Amino acid sequence: MMDRNLPIEPAGFTKSDLAKYPFLKETARYLSPLDLQIEDLTSPDMHQILDRAMERVTSAITDLVSNSLIDTQETYLKKESQEIISFPVAIMLISATDNSLIKKRYALAEAKQATNALFSESKEFILKIAFDFGWKIALAPSDSAFDFVLYFNDFLQNASHLHAAKWKIVNSKLSEGNVYLNKRDIIRLLQEEIKRRIDKRFNSVLIEKYPTEISELAEKLKTLATEHIRQTEADFPKVVVQEAFPPCINTLYDTASKNHHLSHMGRFALTTFLVNIGMSAESVTELFKSFSDYNERLTRYQVEHIAGERGSGTKYTCPQCSILQTHNVCKNRDDLCRRIYHPLKYYKIKSGTTLQTQSETLEKLAAKK
Amino acid sequence: MVRHKRFESMQAFQNVLARNVPSDVYHSCAYYEQPDLEMDKKGWIGSDLVFDIDADHIPTSCGKIHDEWVCQKCEFSGKGITPEECPICSGDRFSVKTWLCDLCIESTRVETAKLVDILTKDFGFAANELHVFFSGHRGYHVHVEDEVVRSLDALSRKEIVDYVTGLGLSVLDKSSKEKSIQGRTRVATTKKFSLHNYGWNQRLKMGMIKFLSTASDEDLKKLNNNLFKNKSFILKQRVIEESRWDDVTGVGVATWLKLAEQAKILGSANIDTVVTTDIHRLIRMNGTLHGKTGLLKIEFPTHKLDDFDPLTQAVAFKKDTAKVLVSDAPKFRLGGATWGPYKNDKVVLPTAVAVMLILKGRAEVTN
Repeated sequence: MMDRNLPIEPAGFTKSDLAKYPFLKETARYLSPLDLQIEDLTSPDMHQILDRAMERVTSAITDLVSNSLIDTQETYLKKESQEIISFPVAIMLISATDNSLIKKRYALAEAKQATNALFSESKEFILKIAFDFGWKIALAPSDSAFDFVLYFNDFLQNASHLHAAKWKIVNSKLSEGNVYLNKRDIIRLLQEEIKRRIDKRFNSVLIEKYPTEISELAEKLKTLATEHIRQTEADFPKVVVQEAFPPCINTLYDTASKNHHLSHMGRFALTTFLVNIGMSAESVTELFKSFSDYNERLTRYQVEHIAGERGSGTKYTCPQCSILQTHNVCKNRDDLCRRIYHPLKYYKIKSGTTLQTQSETLEKLAAKK
Repeated sequence: MVRHKRFESMQAFQNVLARNVPSDVYHSCAYYEQPDLEMDKKGWIGSDLVFDIDADHIPTSCGKIHDEWVCQKCEFSGKGITPEECPICSGDRFSVKTWLCDLCIESTRVETAKLVDILTKDFGFAANELHVFFSGHRGYHVHVEDEVVRSLDALSRKEIVDYVTGLGLSVLDKSSKEKSIQGRTRVATTKKFSLHNYGWNQRLKMGMIKFLSTASDEDLKKLNNNLFKNKSFILKQRVIEESRWDDVTGVGVATWLKLAEQAKILGSANIDTVVTTDIHRLIRMNGTLHGKTGLLKIEFPTHKLDDFDPLTQAVAFKKDTAKVLVSDAPKFRLGGATWGPYKNDKVVLPTAVAVMLILKGRAEVTN
């Protein structure tokens, strides 16, 4: 069995490695002597770096993968320092936009970029990158059909966000705590890890006031984002379309309205679903009124808490399909269920078509008259 | 209920217990920076990985015939598993008087053994890294308190739950082939049965062999008659071990799937899914009494799971007797002897037996 407490060796990356993978911890070694402050970015010496940082973010927004990086491998190798420094500068620029879509997009783009580059690296190099994230990982025995063995907790932290059946640990090649994987799989899992690290970097930026020049650049990026990042999350319809409820929620809703008992998870799923599609806390409380163990004060408190009107102010979202499956709340799956991962997504798709059909019918009726 | 407490010392904690004498004591499985603040402000650091196996949630071989339920609306009553709704008035609220018998405990022990097997062989925990407890009522708790599991988020824990229950096992390999039908090229997708030799896939193989060797002829015929006819061929020729799924005439994907489903039922452990996925879970404290029985939640070495007898070894009160009026109780075993059945009997019983009957709502202290 692989030693769980594998010592993490000093990675020893070259400057050119850091230029390619600027999110590595070792990058700090190059950056800390510079003690980069937001005010420094406006100085003329920084112009090239600021340009390169803008380019990084711009291509992330427009093309998702910052292709320019790979295309100009030759050029950028000559400008390693610029590459390394432009990464934290890009993080600062994005922080100035305070736009969560851009943050998400950038983290994904950089992670994908790194993923592409990793395919041409050796297994030993990939191991070094994985160590940088503290993974408990080793090369698989050379006579095995696999490239790596990864400790299950590192597998879970990353694979649990991926939807394909092969990423469920129940289907993995697990033995004595280790998951046997090939290079391609490890790189895919690293992508998740890289994305998360970059995401976290945004939270560590503590800048209160940005220089005007930086704020102007941030505005430019925001405009670009509205043009390029598709608002995948269209709004829910303004009215509650009960015909568009997914089967699980329908089952819960029926049970609730018949005054029958709901499990905790069932009640939580129903409440979060209804609150998220825009039903008021008031109306949801009203629905639960029929329960024989109904306690108005307690129910109102719980519903308002879930709706984010109390406590920490966080609005709870409805659990995704796989969670409802685990707790046996997922019932009567239909064809649409097989194409989505979240009950709210089901509602979004179905309410769209339902409302469209309704308005078409109304139009037809009106035309007939 | 008293919650969100922290204690500076064991002594301070024991003093509070002695002063308040609570019927049940729980602690959080989570580690917090500030455990005494309200939930959002505690600062979650990590959480142990805990499993709860309780006869309340699983089918047991006794059929819970000793449990009594009364409809809260119309007072209609019955014995056994509490129905979804009252057969008389369709009400769905019941007051339930549970009992625990050897079969309840045995059923949960079997599930616990399967869980322990998965955690050691597949997840690689050494037996001494698992803490196995009798819950004090009718079930077992398994705690993993190792550093490596503490930081697991709820989603990762859900994946572990799915592993233990065998949810989401995918044993079909889709392969696409181009076919030429009447001169036109079409893509035909075929689904092949496929298992590798690791983790659950290997468990499925072992379970399929076990089911095939031990199931009755009738059960096998029910799955597929060709499976029954080829039983010895499959076993002798190591068809399952070597994944030669196309080698048995008349046994195709559908039959292998059915056999795998039986193997999944045999191999998965029936745990309370909510407990393990909850990263803020409260769990009964080791060494305290269960308020429904007066028995201890008590730890024992993992390898003793087969031998540990909760009905003698989890008994807390070992001295003195009490005179009680027992309204109704089945024949039962506790503390190395057998008691009852009772029906409106005044009896002098050892303290542990009297306490159990009282807490189960079956007896009162009398003079």
